[in-house]
Amino acid sequence: MKTTANSPAVARVTFLSVVCVGMLLPMYLLVVNTFKSQQEILANPFTINFDTATFEHLANAWTNPDFNILKGYAITLALVAGVNALSIGVCAPAAYVLARTPKALSRVILFFFIAGMFIPTQVILVPVIFVLRSLGLMGTLPGLILFMTATTVPFTLFVFYGYIRMLPRALDEAAAIDGAGKLYTLWRIILPLMRPIIATVFILNSLSVWNDFASPQMILGPGSGIYTVTTGVYAAVGQYSTDYTKVFPTLLLAVIPILAIFIVMQRHVMSGLAAGAVKG
Amino acid sequence: MEPRTSLRLRGWRNAGVSVGMVVPAVLVYVALLVVPVGYAFYYSFTEYNGFPTRVPEFIGLENYQTVFSSDDMTGTMVTTGVIAVIGALVVNLAALGLALLLQKPNRFNTFGRVVMFYPHVLSALVVGFLWQAILGPQGVVNTMLEKVGSDSLPFLSDPNWALWSMIFVIAWALFGVQLILYLAGLQAVSTDLLEAARIDGASRWQTFRSVTWPSLAPTVTAAIITSGISLLKTYDVVVSLTGGGPAGSTKTLAYQILAVSFPERDIGVASAQAVLLILAAAVLAITVLVIRRRAENDAESIG
Repeated sequence: MKTTANSPAVARVTFLSVVCVGMLLPMYLLVVNTFKSQQEILANPFTINFDTATFEHLANAWTNPDFNILKGYAITLALVAGVNALSIGVCAPAAYVLARTPKALSRVILFFFIAGMFIPTQVILVPVIFVLRSLGLMGTLPGLILFMTATTVPFTLFVFYGYIRMLPRALDEAAAIDGAGKLYTLWRIILPLMRPIIATVFILNSLSVWNDFASPQMILGPGSGIYTVTTGVYAAVGQYSTDYTKVFPTLLLAVIPILAIFIVMQRHVMSGLAAGAVKG
Repeated sequence: MEPRTSLRLRGWRNAGVSVGMVVPAVLVYVALLVVPVGYAFYYSFTEYNGFPTRVPEFIGLENYQTVFSSDDMTGTMVTTGVIAVIGALVVNLAALGLALLLQKPNRFNTFGRVVMFYPHVLSALVVGFLWQAILGPQGVVNTMLEKVGSDSLPFLSDPNWALWSMIFVIAWALFGVQLILYLAGLQAVSTDLLEAARIDGASRWQTFRSVTWPSLAPTVTAAIITSGISLLKTYDVVVSLTGGGPAGSTKTLAYQILAVSFPERDIGVASAQAVLLILAAAVLAITVLVIRRRAENDAESIG
């Protein structure tokens, strides 16, 4: 047996292990304290006694009258689906046309879109409210989908543009000779080739839509009665932040689906992020 | 029909289709992003309470005077600036350092990357509530401190501590993203150059300084801009971790806009604050890009 454990390597592994423990500890606390009473949490936050562990608080969080969590999942999923469909639907044709018109005009249009990436979106929510109100969409799910789509358009369009530029023009020229129109070429030839970049964009946009709190909070508002996972968590936990039997179970229910999806797809999520960054 | 006219007709039709394919994206983007930015600028020069029956009244720069003369509001700007600058520094240093340690692809490192990245898939609101339960006056840490007979620490209840606690929490949740960016950047560093440096007997630091760091420059730019802009608009964590307190010590500009000025129906002031934040984001992005361009020019003139 070789003993290759030199001291820098040991130090590296030790240090990284400590960081990993620091990253995982909050999640551990979240899980164990979900199944304990307030007294137990305050007495022993780090340990769990399986004899007194209870699903009672988790069940209470599930049936919380302030926030129907199943409905929250459904609405958030609808939001994710709507924004992705609309964003990819409007950006793919636009990016295709821009990528194939090597003119000063397309450059200007692209720059106009890219500038949008630097707008801190939460900050313009107040004027957005007035725009949506004049469109009659304030406090509605379509209004929220429309605004969230707008926030994803700059990044999506830019990344699509970069990707389509790398696809050989000979492909569309061949299609044009066969008499195919632009839309047909996009649908039958370009889109199938864009699958990897569409997957990347889908993952990144889904994450930002799922986790957004400010937009649904301001646009839907408590008056609409429509809660996403984040605004629902806020409604359920916000005023009771010292009642840990409410806090931990509600938070656990809110993070389980997204964490499960992440664990299954972690390689795609992380490589997608890296790819998006390299292109961006 | 002459062939020439039919060609021209087809050209026009193609152009029509092209325009039709770009228009939907332009419409959505302009209606809900560009127009609101325009409105923010316009409202920032008016007094307006947001009621549809009232017309915004032009008052010049008064809102900006209000913003800059109130200690409370300049305080939020300082807080936002501290979070953006210190936060970006901490996040990028941690991410770069850990990326260098996690470079080699093996099982332990893959596990480490996933563990450091996962907070990014949680919403910042949830992260804030979770850390509130850990660092709060009755939170996990203070419970343990009391158990061992030590005094509790005011992580979130002392104005001097709360901001640093918040920056720590934000960095905890954010650095994984930049870590992935740096790992992707490190993969692009030329192995030939690294090999050449090793043969020349360069030390680890020398190799980093003259091979790795210059080829990482584009990544560093991207990572600083993206982290800086997301830190400038910090809002969710404020809501869930501190509620802006204690004594307003963790109120950010975004929090001030959405949780104070807007509910007070002070649309003019809220818009002036939004404009300042948009300008700050633009200045940040342009500054980093200019510095980068200059560094590149220098590098070219040397080498």
